[in-house]
Amino acid sequence: MASAREIQKRIRSVKNIAQITRALEAVSASRVRRAQARVLASRAFAEKAWEILLNVQSAGTTGVALHPLLEERTEINNIMIVLITSDRGLKGAFNTNIIRVANRFAERMGKPVQYITIGRKGRDSLVRAGKNVVASFTDMPSDPSISDISAANRLAIDAFLSGEVDDVFIAYTDFINTLTQHPVVLGWLPLIPHTIEDQVASEFVKDVPSVTNTVAVYDYEPSPEAILQEIVPRFTELQLYQALLESQASEYSAQMVAMRNASENAGALVGDLTLEYNKARQAAITAEILDIVGGTEALQSSVEKAANAIEQAMLAR
Amino acid sequence: MAEVQGRIAQILGNVVDVEFPGGELPDIFDALRVPRAGEEELILEVQLHMGDNIVRTVAMDTTDGLQRGVPAFATGQPITVPVGEVSLGRVFNVLGRPVDNKPPVGADAPRRPIHADPPNFEEQSTSIEQFESGMKVIDLVAPMTRGGKTGIFGGAGVGKTVTIMELINSIATQHEGLSVFAGVGERTREGTQLYGEMEEAGVLDKLAMVFGQMNEPPGVRLRVALSGLTMAEQFRDEGRDVLMFIDNIFRYSLAGAEVSALLGRMPSAVGYQPTLAEEMGMLQERITSTKTGSITSMQAVYVPADDYSDPAPVAVFTHLDGTIALERSLAARAIFPAVDPLQSTSKILDPNIIGEEHYRTAREVQQVLQRYKDLQDIIAILGVDELSDDDKLLVGRARKIELFLTQPMMVAAQFTGREGRYVRVRDTVRGFRMLLDGEVDYIPEQMFYMAGTMDEVIERYQESQNQ
Repeated sequence: MASAREIQKRIRSVKNIAQITRALEAVSASRVRRAQARVLASRAFAEKAWEILLNVQSAGTTGVALHPLLEERTEINNIMIVLITSDRGLKGAFNTNIIRVANRFAERMGKPVQYITIGRKGRDSLVRAGKNVVASFTDMPSDPSISDISAANRLAIDAFLSGEVDDVFIAYTDFINTLTQHPVVLGWLPLIPHTIEDQVASEFVKDVPSVTNTVAVYDYEPSPEAILQEIVPRFTELQLYQALLESQASEYSAQMVAMRNASENAGALVGDLTLEYNKARQAAITAEILDIVGGTEALQSSVEKAANAIEQAMLAR
Repeated sequence: MAEVQGRIAQILGNVVDVEFPGGELPDIFDALRVPRAGEEELILEVQLHMGDNIVRTVAMDTTDGLQRGVPAFATGQPITVPVGEVSLGRVFNVLGRPVDNKPPVGADAPRRPIHADPPNFEEQSTSIEQFESGMKVIDLVAPMTRGGKTGIFGGAGVGKTVTIMELINSIATQHEGLSVFAGVGERTREGTQLYGEMEEAGVLDKLAMVFGQMNEPPGVRLRVALSGLTMAEQFRDEGRDVLMFIDNIFRYSLAGAEVSALLGRMPSAVGYQPTLAEEMGMLQERITSTKTGSITSMQAVYVPADDYSDPAPVAVFTHLDGTIALERSLAARAIFPAVDPLQSTSKILDPNIIGEEHYRTAREVQQVLQRYKDLQDIIAILGVDELSDDDKLLVGRARKIELFLTQPMMVAAQFTGREGRYVRVRDTVRGFRMLLDGEVDYIPEQMFYMAGTMDEVIERYQESQNQ
């Protein structure tokens, strides 16, 4: 059995960890509310924007792309993945899951991949694995604006337009609710619904609602091309922005849940260790009492013997 | 030799005082015999001279029905046991009387007193060489020494006896030389089982057995290890290599504690006899290899309440060349043999003796397991996902190492349904080397459980892939 002092030391260290996890739980709980509000607020816009985009596009001639960012390449040679993770750890399985999904997806595609990472954890993991990371962005604020992602957006668009890559995906964590988050891969560029049925890695790809506009007929002023020219770059940005918001909301939710579990685990561990500590302490006390009692008992009899001997000697005299 | 007659003056349980009115007192450790009607005579061993012509003795049998005034005869020598060829294939009690229902040992058979001086300094052998046990975990982290002493420590029910039986099975049955088994204060059933197994393996004629099990009085348990040792010493002095198994050396200390208070000694720490370390030394110092022959001994040591700081196991520790510590938490997880690779060690775990490769592998295995242990609190609180990639890999390997340290045992084959494995040292080292180098990272961890060599693990994996 470990000594009482050793157990005490362990209890102290576990309590320290519990203090940190409790603090992080509180921090993430306050952040998660704001992040959730943000993601839900912008989600409607993002979905509507998608709808408009498809509407406008369908107004053009079928088979001909109205904008270079909408052009589907027949031959995919290189792909790019934008990987959104958190900067720091203590998020439970949040980072592990999205990194694993991104890696599996890349593996399944079987094409050379360039990576842009948003978040330090994703960068570290990919760099360690020797992946081709072309750019990395860290220290996203907890209240991000569009301008925070415009550089990443620019990079991806340039790579796509120059033909360096033929398909760009965003790997991020879709926020469902506080308890559930789905790591997914979203087909981003070209900005059209990626036909996922015939894709090799369809199980990872987010299902995008395809809008088939047969009922409403709109007139576009001045022309669909002109409108697309204006809105497509903004929509690409919006997609990435939405993914970042989703990821952040997921991150804080995951952290809150993970930290709550950690605090509970730490509490249980402290309980177990305290029990063990009390046992060790009591065992030591009992052993000492036994030693003392045994010692005095033994001494007692020899003292008595000596006393008797003296008494007899006195009597004899 | 004329026997001096005395008479019994006091009986205190197993401690008997005998008075020799003539003033001709027997020496300490001399045997006295007390004839009993209708029974074998009772043997007493002198422990103390009390003064007033009285000696205090310990009985080698129950003292029920013994009376004051009964005559006792000093034999003028310590207890003797038959030694040499006649002892092989036989089972004896502490007094050297056969208890296997075979014809008695001839009166002209050579005998030796069970008390003797340890070999002196210049007689002791200095050669050091590893002794293969065939058990991966022992060979790797606590290699045994040829002519050395290895202790198997463990609390109640963690597998000391099974481990020592396995060692007997794998070593004694393959070993060329002779073996002596001393059963001290353990279950008689285990002795019977061993006898049966040895007979089956056809090596009974190379084995001498001495039993003084837990039903016997403390005097017997205090001396039976010496009786066994005496037989081993004889073979050693004849220039042979002997294996000496003792199960369980703690009972020897315990028997000493039982008679100590009756002998009038004041109890010492945790209630043990004050002479605990000296008594242990008297036994252990004699288990030594000399330039003539060697005694390789394996001793099971019970650890009371799993407390390794208890004085009894502590008294044994320093005498040993190798320590194999069994751990309850491992046994609880069905890791058998439940040897704790972090607590177990050996004096020959040294690159100059076992070789650089073996040494490095053993130490790295320990490092990985130690790191895993350190991480366990973090895993318990935060979960395995919070670990860095390096640590995750390390944890995975540590778990595989833990499982690969298990091994199916021959003596447990009837319970587990798995044939026992004997693994050569070089296969053991190679297997763990592969694990540490990450060559088998692709194999799932349960494939490592209860395997022999690494080749067997790989074979299992390929088989599962083929299905």
